[in-house]
Amino acid sequence: MSAAAEAGASNGVAWYVYGIVEAGSEAPAGAGVEVSTVTAGRVSALVSRVPLEEYGEDAVRARLEDPAWLAGAAHVHEAVLEAALRSGAVVPFRLLTIFRDCDGLHDFLATRGDDLRALLERVRGREEVGVKAFVDRAVLDEAVAADTPALRELDAEIASAQIGRAYLLQRRREQALDQEAGRRIAELAGVLHGRLRDAAEAGVANAVQSHEASGRAEEMVLNGAYLVPSGDDRFERELDALREEYRAVGVTFERTGPWPPYNFVPRELGEA
Amino acid sequence: VTTTLDQPALAQQVTLLELVDRVLNKGVVLSGDITLSVAGVDLVYVGLRVMLASVATLEQRP
Repeated sequence: MSAAAEAGASNGVAWYVYGIVEAGSEAPAGAGVEVSTVTAGRVSALVSRVPLEEYGEDAVRARLEDPAWLAGAAHVHEAVLEAALRSGAVVPFRLLTIFRDCDGLHDFLATRGDDLRALLERVRGREEVGVKAFVDRAVLDEAVAADTPALRELDAEIASAQIGRAYLLQRRREQALDQEAGRRIAELAGVLHGRLRDAAEAGVANAVQSHEASGRAEEMVLNGAYLVPSGDDRFERELDALREEYRAVGVTFERTGPWPPYNFVPRELGEA
Repeated sequence: VTTTLDQPALAQQVTLLELVDRVLNKGVVLSGDITLSVAGVDLVYVGLRVMLASVATLEQRP
């Protein structure tokens, strides 16, 4: 236990836990905050002592309404976990996991040590990689219109119809196009995720993001996270192959990582 | 906790909203008396509502 951690519970202080590393790991430096470790058995918690004035229940509730504070907290949390990831396996905890006192944290590590150890084993030597796939709807719609017989027939009918009937047919065409494009996007998402998951050790398809969240004009079709053995290039080769294969139909990919394995730890300890 | 810090490297790869979504929605969640109850489920909704309302202005900052 570090000197800072040894000071124990003192008035006005709580213990912010970023995540778990193997006992004996160095507390990460360079994340812009003072981080120490609290150890029991073979696992250590990465902690910062935080003032209750800022991190107590009521204080946090109030501060959560402040986007700048929330963004800052997210950045610190992520920076500490990323720094720890550079030197070994990490089990990330959710933002704002705060223990009331050091004794409680110590007890927790002692009683749940086996579960935590098992999670560290699961993610050690592996990286979480994020892959998003986007489709340019204009390109996709064009492809759908060209190779869907029902739409081609409608187009032919529209070309020779009177103006009133052409309007109705046009509406029907829009609906048919939307339906078919939606079907293909769902199918595409399944194929892309399946191939990436097969090239990785595990994979999770998360909900696709809105344009606001992604910051992209194209439509997101896949928001995946994959657990990839470090140094294994099978996943990267599959991603490159997908980029090539799907370029012509307007699909682009965005790869991020390596992330702390947020998507490959259970929400609750003891779950598979 | 100081307020000035190096930006986490990966924050540059994703939007702020995605980063907040990730750290709020993923990772191990502890419940019970040992932790402060701010770790409760409502956190996700409060946090994201705030971020959604403000993400545009935050991301325009240099």
